[in-house]
Amino acid sequence: MDRQKTYDAGVSGDEGLRCARCGEPLVLSPVTFTYLGHAFPVELPACEACGLVFVPEELAKGRILHVERSLEDK
Amino acid sequence: MEKTAVAPSEQPRAANRVISGTRSVCPVCLEVIDARYVARGERIYMEKQCKKHGAFTALVWEGAEEFERLVRAGEGQPCPSGPQHCIGCRQHAQKTCCVLLEVSDRCNLSCPVCFAGSSEAVATPDPSLATIAGWYDMLMQNGGPFNIQLSGGEPTMRDDLPEVIRLGLERGFSFFQLNTNGLRLAQEPDYVQRLAQAGLNTVFLQFDGIRDTTYEAIRGRPLFDEKVRAIAHCRQAGLGVVLVPTVAKGVNDHELGDIVAFAKGQMPHVRGVHFQPMSFFGRYQEDLADSGRLTIPALLRALEQQSRGEIKKGDFSPANTEHPLCSFHADYLLEEGRFVLQPSCESACCCSVPSDQARRVVARKWSAPEVYAPTPPEEGSLYRADALDAFLQQRAEVERRQFALSGMAFQDAFNLDLNRLGRCYIAEVSPDGHLVPFCAYNLTGTDHAGFYRGVK
Repeated sequence: MDRQKTYDAGVSGDEGLRCARCGEPLVLSPVTFTYLGHAFPVELPACEACGLVFVPEELAKGRILHVERSLEDK
Repeated sequence: MEKTAVAPSEQPRAANRVISGTRSVCPVCLEVIDARYVARGERIYMEKQCKKHGAFTALVWEGAEEFERLVRAGEGQPCPSGPQHCIGCRQHAQKTCCVLLEVSDRCNLSCPVCFAGSSEAVATPDPSLATIAGWYDMLMQNGGPFNIQLSGGEPTMRDDLPEVIRLGLERGFSFFQLNTNGLRLAQEPDYVQRLAQAGLNTVFLQFDGIRDTTYEAIRGRPLFDEKVRAIAHCRQAGLGVVLVPTVAKGVNDHELGDIVAFAKGQMPHVRGVHFQPMSFFGRYQEDLADSGRLTIPALLRALEQQSRGEIKKGDFSPANTEHPLCSFHADYLLEEGRFVLQPSCESACCCSVPSDQARRVVARKWSAPEVYAPTPPEEGSLYRADALDAFLQQRAEVERRQFALSGMAFQDAFNLDLNRLGRCYIAEVSPDGHLVPFCAYNLTGTDHAGFYRGVK
């Protein structure tokens, strides 16, 4: 048996997230994470007015953490 | 009369050239005495003289230039106190990294060769869970957490070994390695599952060769089929396995290529091979000692020859944390059925990087590789992270093709160098809960008695 690592596919988008700074609705927008010389283009909810990006907790504690550790351990 | 640890055919003949001096012990009385490394041609010997027991010579290395380079790289002061004074000593030059817990003195084999001198006849009671919990607490108070090696004796003699792992996890330890002959793992797949579920990371499986004649010589009976079954059960439980051959000159040093080829066929769950050239401590057969010592360069040359050049002696890097004469390693990637050398990464050593990262690196290197299986994003998902998935998937695939070859030459009373001992980063916990460097803990004189196992 292989050990499997699974992650959530993401919470539903119809929760009506709004920007804490300007109150505008967040819309799925292209965002690039960079870490230790690597770039990862993703799509995240962002405020079109001020550019604030929302990073869901399960993404931060799941895929992003795993990628960071992989790069650190390389 | 000069006593010697090398075969008559290896008796030094060429003119002496003294390379450096250090401190060692008399193999008979284990008193600390001066020693020196002497080159005779390409062969390097340790020479020393005990006032009571005479002169001793032991082959240490083959390749004078390389030896001198490694000795310079490992330059330092010999441990000032000696191997009998490790408990409570604050002068050890190296931080501990890996710790062996001898959780049972019992064993289901009585190998002719055993550094711990264990056997089926041992009646010493196993340390209780409360005692082991105390060891873990002591380790946390002394720089822990460390990588834990569950050892013995044969640690799988304990039914409650999963509980021993859980105790460690509860106290903050995160990496557990099982040093085992694999007999119980071969017989009881349920036991293997329980160990995996408890949090075991990897199995260091005693694996001396692919022929039963080898096991008969080193372990006293044929064992190859049981080794194969043990590996299968580890694979089923999702455990990584590292094959650990004890290599004795003239017994199984012709099987090194076969062992690596076998390991390659068992990838990805078999993560590598860790060679241990035989040392003469604990219980060993005098005739093996007489047949001479297998040096690291000779082992690596044999590996190159027997792998038909797929693995090269020059692939290997010496240790940079423990003394460079003590260990060697090389990392490979399997590409189209052949091993391709990967750039030497110092994080291969678990001591050269910060400890959390170190334990993670070791855990990943020796544990079974993950299969990366992200749930595909659904319609209306709050984010899309395909690039992260692609990276992690590729990393997991690479991990399945990674393979490590390494080895460590333990010291014995014939070749003990107190400079090397001061750099030792593997420690054993003594029964009364003290940390002792591995090669001091297991050191025995020609009477097979030592300082720390309650004999001397």
